[in-house]
Amino acid sequence: MLHFEFMQRAFWAGGLIALIAPILGVFLVLRRQSLMADTLSHVSMAGVALGSVLHMSPVLAGFLFAVIGGIAIEQLRRSYRAYSEVPVAIIMTSGLALAMVLMSMKSNLSKSFSSYLFGSIVAVNPLQLMIIAAVTAGGLIFFAVLRRHLYTLTFDEETAAVGGVQVKLMTFAFAVMTGLIVAAAMPIVGVLLVSALIVLPSAFALRFAGGFLQACILAVCAGLTGVFGGLSASYYTDTPPGGTIALTLLLILLAGIAVQKVGQRRRQRHLGEAVRAVPYASRQVMSTSYQEEETNVS
Amino acid sequence: MNIAAMNNVVYGYDGVPVIHNVSLRIESGEFIAVSGPNGAAKSTLLRLLLGLVKPWSGEVSYAPDFNRKAIGYLPQQAASFNSGFPSKVIELVRSGCYPKLGWFRRFGAEQHALVEWSLRRAGMWEYRSRKIGGLSGGQKQKACIARVMAQQPDLVVLDEPVTGMDAGSRLQFYQWMRDYVSADARRTVLMVTHGLDEARPYLDRVIRLEGKEEDCQCFTSNSCSAPFGQEVLLH
Repeated sequence: MLHFEFMQRAFWAGGLIALIAPILGVFLVLRRQSLMADTLSHVSMAGVALGSVLHMSPVLAGFLFAVIGGIAIEQLRRSYRAYSEVPVAIIMTSGLALAMVLMSMKSNLSKSFSSYLFGSIVAVNPLQLMIIAAVTAGGLIFFAVLRRHLYTLTFDEETAAVGGVQVKLMTFAFAVMTGLIVAAAMPIVGVLLVSALIVLPSAFALRFAGGFLQACILAVCAGLTGVFGGLSASYYTDTPPGGTIALTLLLILLAGIAVQKVGQRRRQRHLGEAVRAVPYASRQVMSTSYQEEETNVS
Repeated sequence: MNIAAMNNVVYGYDGVPVIHNVSLRIESGEFIAVSGPNGAAKSTLLRLLLGLVKPWSGEVSYAPDFNRKAIGYLPQQAASFNSGFPSKVIELVRSGCYPKLGWFRRFGAEQHALVEWSLRRAGMWEYRSRKIGGLSGGQKQKACIARVMAQQPDLVVLDEPVTGMDAGSRLQFYQWMRDYVSADARRTVLMVTHGLDEARPYLDRVIRLEGKEEDCQCFTSNSCSAPFGQEVLLH
């Protein structure tokens, strides 16, 4: 299948985005913003629609809107500290509503929109591939250079602020980065499934990883497996690539959960027997002494 | 030597002031406790001092030669973080060294030694390879304290650090802070605590915040005696 140029491009595009999207996912999940990717892709779609209505480049407008959406969420998050999902809901619905209205202005648009909604990785053109490569490179540099700051920030924002991290600047940069990566991932799995590419690999990785770096590496491995596996499967079974990639990622996650459950149960049974084999006298003793408690109180 | 001061600071929430005209000075070489009933704005006092919130009026100032990056802060309920946070205890404690290392400076032998020292004094060295999410509440708290101390801060600011810790660990912790302050005259530890009775032998000074009941303008505190000089009272 790799002798077709479009499949080569598809593999390149998918592979590149699978290097960066899962790392972003780890941070989004830990910051409890796993729906942010979904939201920004809807906002980005409004940008694409506006771009075509105004005869601008839809791709550029899509990127612009995704970045603006990310910043808007970050701003709203500060005013809804206790409910971090509220700004996500506000921005997601606004994006979708705007996209619907704009799309109705150009009736012939709706057909090409299905490629945005469901992705068209096999139709990725060389320009899009270059954009994806640039975003991936930028993202990897961003996460590598700022890894210490991002770790501290993800752990606790106030501690980070006291430790000299420019919290506002960092969250702003993170929001911009999120917008860029979401917009870059859109042609691969489509607006509706961007979240799958970003959140599913990190959901898998966070179950297994012992440390932070390990979580990022595991997430990227899961992402790459899902994208390449899904692409190949969609080629041979003639199914839509976006959906197949998302389903493959879901399968990986479910398999991971199953393996973990079975392993856990086996270990528990093993340990349970080991504990029972210990002679009674040396077991941990729980005792209650009412006498002592009463004297303590008085 | 004076390292920080608050002058006539007023601050509150939703238009209601909770800090009324507070002035205080933090000297170096002191182990200070901040105590007071619930709602006396102890945590707020710390947050004002750290610059996390800006006072409505009055000012918070630091000595010109004081390095603001040499502050270590343990927020209240620091240990109630996301239990899925994918970090080993030692990884978390290492991150305490980041403020002094900046973006790129290598994590050298000195930092490794500090991390080990910090983990050992916190009694968490044996747990260094465990995931923090799987620790008990008291252990998480100790891990977070170790993280702050690995930074070797000149000013340590701790908000209810002994929450969830057993009696033995609490006394070890007070002794650690006492030793830390005594080892270097530039160091100061400021902590909010409800366990004043057990901490008292280790302390240099107690800052007592009174609740804001109108009829409770107690300017003399019954439990503070000679060794504790300055007191702050809200009225």
